[in-house]
Order: sequence, then structure tokens, then C-alpha cells
Amino acid sequence: MQASFVSERNLDALLDPAGAAWRNVPRTELGLTGTPLGLQPTAAIKASWADKKIGAIDRVDVAALNDGQRLLFRLEWRDPTESRKITDNNVFVDGAAILFPTVPDAPLVLMGAKGAPVNVWYWRADEDAGNHIVAEGFGTTRIVDRDRVRTRAAWNDGRWQVVIARDLRVDSPEPVANVQPGAPAQFSIAVWDGANSERAGIKAFSPVWTDLTIEPAQR
Amino acid sequence: MSSPKRQIAMVMDLNKCIGCQTCTIACKRLWTRDEGMDYMWWNCVNTMPGRGTPRDWETMGGGFTAGDARPSRIPTRGDFGDAWEFNHEEVFFGGKGSSAHLQIKGEQPDWGPNWDEDQGAGEYPNAYYFYLPRICNHCTHPACLEACPRKAIEKREEDGIVLLNEDRCRGYRFCMEACPYKKLYFNETRKISQKCIFCFPRVEKGVAPACARQCPGRVRFVGYRDDQNGPIWKLVDKYRVAIPLHPEFGTEPNVFYVPPMSPPRFDENGEIDESRPRIPDEYLVSLFGPRALEALGTIKSEVAKVRGGGKSELLDLLIAYEWKSMFGGFDRDPATIEWTKG
Ligand code: SF4
Ligand code: SF4
Repeated sequence: MQASFVSERNLDALLDPAGAAWRNVPRTELGLTGTPLGLQPTAAIKASWADKKIGAIDRVDVAALNDGQRLLFRLEWRDPTESRKITDNNVFVDGAAILFPTVPDAPLVLMGAKGAPVNVWYWRADEDAGNHIVAEGFGTTRIVDRDRVRTRAAWNDGRWQVVIARDLRVDSPEPVANVQPGAPAQFSIAVWDGANSERAGIKAFSPVWTDLTIEPAQR
Repeated sequence: MSSPKRQIAMVMDLNKCIGCQTCTIACKRLWTRDEGMDYMWWNCVNTMPGRGTPRDWETMGGGFTAGDARPSRIPTRGDFGDAWEFNHEEVFFGGKGSSAHLQIKGEQPDWGPNWDEDQGAGEYPNAYYFYLPRICNHCTHPACLEACPRKAIEKREEDGIVLLNEDRCRGYRFCMEACPYKKLYFNETRKISQKCIFCFPRVEKGVAPACARQCPGRVRFVGYRDDQNGPIWKLVDKYRVAIPLHPEFGTEPNVFYVPPMSPPRFDENGEIDESRPRIPDEYLVSLFGPRALEALGTIKSEVAKVRGGGKSELLDLLIAYEWKSMFGGFDRDPATIEWTKG
């Protein structure tokens, strides 16, 4: 997949999932699968999900852009229920994330491993700020900051449209992904369906790293 | 999880609980007054038989069957009885004290934290009920801890208190589903789960938990399980009159109950009928397992002994002539301590 270069530099315009910048950007459909039951980290989670479908969302349309400074993804998927707010103890919200390996071949299915972290740009429907996360295996996610990942989302007619963005390169002591135009990169997508009580490792994800080329600036 | 060096525990004598909710309010005022905690009652006292708090928690599942995690569900705010809002401003500050009466604002609820209080069961003149106070059991095999994928719940090495680390918690609520006693609460404002902390900041300073120390009925004993001079070891291990609630849930609670004795029954002629207890044995066994009857047998024979002029260490202990003897050394007066916040 390619993150084409755009000359639009206005972040507000780029974050708008319905904005002009995205209009003619080609979309790639990625198939999603539920995280396998056997890999769920605790016996209680396995027991309670044994007869339930993990990963209610099975496909997502992905487009990507870069403006020379930032990398932006636009995700769109069908979800008949908009789960925006936690209104009760048993209510969960929709979410989505872009995952990057921070070392070659970091294990995707297990959300990284010790010494092989994955970097996650995470959007959840009840928060405006995106979360910038590092994980080294299930249950180890930690938020490294809340201001670098920018998100905007809209739900219309049973479809989520979400833009998730971050600077191509960030200065951080944490093992986060830095990408650059011209160099190869990889990513994966995860989607949580709140209406299916999805949270943590109960999610759908694209099960192999997808190659991404970031188009260098054209002048 | 490694097992703790020592385990602190509580015994509640159900023969003495008067359902006054002083424990409930002691805990509420101390720990659950912040935002998002309005509906939380880390300590609750329900009338039994009854549906309990949260409603029908006993049949919700969770815990373990033969060591295997048993599925359950997450109790809703409505199941807990939510937090009602009253027209306080109007009645107390709005100048309408003599015309308006205190009432719940908005939609009228059909359930509350103590909705079936004093209802009980049985037919007049043999109706029966008793009170069941509940806190987190600080289990030896905590289902909450084992369910959490983030290891946000820990069992303290030094005293076995089960604590939820609010910085690690991401509000996934697997713990709420797994705990068979339904003693975790979700804080919607902070998006984390919260639960009874066994008043660890007090315990660390030698002060008994608030719910125990404030109890006017002298219902609650506190101490280390292995302290042979303390009340817990004597009631749980030596005399075996204090037993866990729903031992079949498989979490090995460290809160134990002295089961309630029954008042006598009346027969059709209004005569006292000693042939069977007013609280059906099967009901007590359904709550505490078969050991409930052994425990009641022990208490009855000790009572007979004392009636015959004998002495009973067990009854002296249960009566708690000396208040401080109930706290297994955790008897320091909190007013003598300078507490700092934060
Ligand atoms: S009673 Fe529930 S919350 Fe408390 S330790 Fe046991 S399983 Fe955990
Ligand atoms: S031990 Fe403390 S925190 Fe727990 S229920 Fe009692 S008063 Fe509340």
C-alpha cells in the first residue's frame, strides 16, 4: 500500500475523514480476523469467550497519506451500532488502532514481545485525544503520551470513518516507530466493536503486516 | 501469584448483626465519596433470604468450578441499585420545607441497593430473616486477579489484602465478570474498576478497618489468620464456627461468617416446636455449605454448657465482652494518628 504525498499541510483539513484531501485517495480493503481464543491471556477470558465471536468487524477500508511531516491513515468500516460512550458497567466503546513493528518481524498476533515492541496509534470513540502506546506482549500496553497521535472520527449511516495521524518521526525515549519517505514500512489494523463487548485482546485485526511505501515529496 | 507471607482476615458473627448499616456508611464516608463512586457500596448489608446486592449476584456465575474459570456477566448499575438523586435543594434550601417532601428525582426506580430489606421468607408466625454484611473477601484464590490481563490486581505479600492498582487498570472489567461475589465496581468517570481495600492505610498503622471498628453490634473480628492468640484463628480453625460464604465458588475467601441460629418455631397450636429450626437447614447449607450445620451444632453445645454452669472460651469470644479483643492487635485508636492525604 502507498501513503501518497499531499501538498495540503493544514492538519484540520487532513484530519477530516470527509475532507477533500481524502476524496481520490485509493482505498485498500483489509480482511480482519478475531484474535484467537487460545491466545487470550487469562483463563477467565477464555472461558467467557469460548462460545462468542471474537472480532465482529471483518473488513476495513484503509487509505493513507503523508504531507512530508505527518503520516495519516483513514479507516472506514461498517458498524451498525455507534458505541460512543460508556453508559453502564457492561457497555464498551468502539475503537481502532494502527500497529507498527519497531523491530523487523515483531510478533503481531501477540502484540509484540519482550525486546520486540509494537507501537500503537489508538483511537477510542469516547476520547478526543489519541493514545500513543507501546506494547511488548498481551497485557503490557502502556500509554507513552496523549498528544502526539491525532484522531478524528465520524459515524454516519452505520459506518465509521476515522482518521489517525502522527508525525512520521518523533523524538521519544520509548520504542516507537519512526518512518520516513522512501523507506519501507509495515503496519496492521485493529478494530474493537463496543457492541460486541470488545476490549483488550478481544478485537479484530489484520493478521499479517501490510507493506507500506511512503511517497516522497514531489515538487 | 505467590502466596502471601501472612493473611489478614475478618469474621462476621451473623447472630449479632442488626442491619443498622453503620459499617456501610463508615466505608462510604471514608472511601467512596469521589466522582464516579456514587453508586458504590464496598460494604453492603442485605436481608437474607433476598436477592442481594447486586440483584441476584449469587446466581450470576464467576469464580471456579473444580478449578476452572466459570463464565459470568458484569453487573449493571441498575443491578447494584444505582445512585438515586433526591430533591434536597428544594426541601432543605429552597424554602419549601413544609410543602414539598423529600423524593427521588426523575424516573422512579424499581430496584435499589437494599430494595428487599427486612422482607425475608417463611409464613407468619414462622417468618424469618437475618442480615448478611458483605465486603470483598480478599480471597486466597482471587478470581478478579486471575482474570485481569494487565496484572492490575495484586495480592499483597505482607498481609494478603487484594488491591487494584488504579494506574495499571484500563477499565476492561474482566475482574467484575470473574468475581463471583460481585464486589468490584466500575468508575465511569475515571474508567477504572474499584473495590474494597480492607482499609489498608489503617491496617498498616494497627487500626482495624472502619467497617469493623464502627460496628455497634460487635459483629466483626479482625486479625491474622495464623495468630493463635487472636480471634480469627480461634473462630475459624480452633472452634471451626466461622466459615466462608459460598465456598463452592472456589476463591477461598478470607472473610468468614458465624452462621445465624434460629429463633424457635411455633406449631399450629402456638406451642414452641423444637423439632426443626425456623431458618431451614437447607437454606443455610446453600449459603455456607454443609459445615454450617456443624458450626451451629458447636455453638449450641457451648450454649448448653454455659447454661449448665460451665465456662466457654468460644462464647466469651463471640459475646466480645472486651471490645478490643475483637481486633487481633489492630486496636489502635485512629484519633491518635495524624493522617496525611495523598
Ligand atoms: S471477593 Fe471478588 S473482588 Fe474480592 S478478592 Fe475475591 S474475587 Fe477478588
Ligand atoms: S474493610 Fe474498609 S474498605 Fe473494605 S468494606 Fe470495610 S470499611 Fe470499606
